[in-house]
Amino acid sequence: MSYIDIQNINFAYHPKRPILQNLSLSIDKGQWIAILGHNGSGKSTLAKAIIGLLEPDFGTIDIDGMTLSPTTVYEIRKKIGIVFQNPDNQFVGVTVRDDIAFGMENLGVPQAEMLEKIDFYAEKVGMKAFLDKEPAELSGGQKQRVAIAGILAMQMDAIIFDEATSMLDPTARRELMDYIRELHNEGLTIIMITHDIEEALWAQRLVIIKDGTVFRQGTREELLKEPVTFIEAGLELPVGLQISNALKQMNALSLELEEHLWESSLKK
Amino acid sequence: MKNVIIGQYIPGSSFFYHIDPRTKIIAVVVLMVATFLLETIWQVLIGFGIALILIIAGRVPIRKIVKGLKPLYVLLLFTLVFQIAFNRVGTIVLDATMQISPFSILFMIAATIIWRLLASFKKFSLLLFFAYLVGLFFIMKNLAFSPLWTTWQLTIYDQGLIMSGFVIIRLLIIITLSTVLTLTTKPTELTQGLESLLRPLKAIGLNSEDFALIISISLRYIPTILDEANKIMNAQASRGADFAEGRLKDKVVQVISLLVPMFIIAFKRSEELADAMESRNFVPGKPRTRIHDLKFNYRDLITTVITVLCLAGSILVKVL
Repeated sequence: MSYIDIQNINFAYHPKRPILQNLSLSIDKGQWIAILGHNGSGKSTLAKAIIGLLEPDFGTIDIDGMTLSPTTVYEIRKKIGIVFQNPDNQFVGVTVRDDIAFGMENLGVPQAEMLEKIDFYAEKVGMKAFLDKEPAELSGGQKQRVAIAGILAMQMDAIIFDEATSMLDPTARRELMDYIRELHNEGLTIIMITHDIEEALWAQRLVIIKDGTVFRQGTREELLKEPVTFIEAGLELPVGLQISNALKQMNALSLELEEHLWESSLKK
Repeated sequence: MKNVIIGQYIPGSSFFYHIDPRTKIIAVVVLMVATFLLETIWQVLIGFGIALILIIAGRVPIRKIVKGLKPLYVLLLFTLVFQIAFNRVGTIVLDATMQISPFSILFMIAATIIWRLLASFKKFSLLLFFAYLVGLFFIMKNLAFSPLWTTWQLTIYDQGLIMSGFVIIRLLIIITLSTVLTLTTKPTELTQGLESLLRPLKAIGLNSEDFALIISISLRYIPTILDEANKIMNAQASRGADFAEGRLKDKVVQVISLLVPMFIIAFKRSEELADAMESRNFVPGKPRTRIHDLKFNYRDLITTVITVLCLAGSILVKVL
């Protein structure tokens, strides 16, 4: 049985404009999965549904053997954490220390244990020197790392990144992606919600969402074999493949160059 | 706009900084009550002396306290003028006939212009103001010449002066006390202290923890929102809006064009923040643990003793 099992969920704010339609998806423990889709495809709504911020109109979500319901939602939020897009709007504490503590305070972790964990996880995300800083003194990337530390301190099994890199500059984005890989290597389940293929290619498995339902899914190699899928889903191909396609149209693509471009697209 | 410091807190490490915020809040309230029990000018002067000694002992920058008094100049001045003009008790200290004539009016206008020209010396603004008042007095008393239009009598009684001194010093003590509190206590500590003190109110349905969380989140978002306001102002200025000039009506329109987007953004932010808090297991009203613990130490004992002594002293002088 998979770790997260989503069965036929439907969701709509307005009956005439459904956001999620008959969406089914299962995610295994320890997997790094990317959920890709263009703006308005329903991918962020899916993230909110998994964490129980939205209740689907139909369908069920099972997480670690528990069915998501108003009674189990608090248990499930102890297992799955989420990092949102805007670093500023999820920083609750007055200082880095307070923010990392926020989740643990909610769980009722004793003070001594909390202080120990704050030190440990701040060190882990490289924010130990900033513990007493206020959010206004931090960059976007640093704030996202603080959010991750807060989730790690709660001993989560899985982290959802809901476009968590989209407001960061390229360097900070690269750093965060490297860091996410580290977390994955340590056994965490990673669910990455993004509209950026380059970013999605870091994942083991890609799920493309279109019009509120799963459009295609598979490993990156499988999906990249038919690049047209991405275009149909309203996404932009990786630069390497765009060049490869353009050259193909001009009949100027050697086998060697094609291989090279493929490799450069996949190399992460 | 970044790094806006909220409240007046200035980092330091003297005695006052290490007192439990609860002790500090209660001590300030008790000392204020004690101040209001005092009845004569000599008593408030002694009270003010004690306050000064505490400030110097606590190494609180006096300059900052003086700054804190600024918004109250008008109130202090009003008290002074009111007491001098209407208090008719005691012996007369000054009884002067003031004369108004075309000449004296001209002189007064000239004095006003000179005073305003010198207003750029901000450091001496208070001193200059008093010099200006003395100047006006001198002009009306001595520089009238003829033709006299009218005269009036300026009579100052000693009790008027004493009472105004009394009221002003009492105000000074109270403001000094509250300024010392806000200068030496972080806003977060203050809210935590308040929360702890308001905890008994849970019996009547007021959840002080939620209240404290609301305050600390508001404090945390003030710089973010200011930053946002700045961005919107810049965006609007780049499209020709002018916040500094224009008639009052234009200004009101400008402010509305700033407030509407600010409100929308603030609501969006709070919605996202609520999601973030909920996903991190926040449940309103559920008991939480704290990383910051309030602990009493020997300093709190000393503070309490001094406070009680001051209160006892003021009760004693009232009874005797």
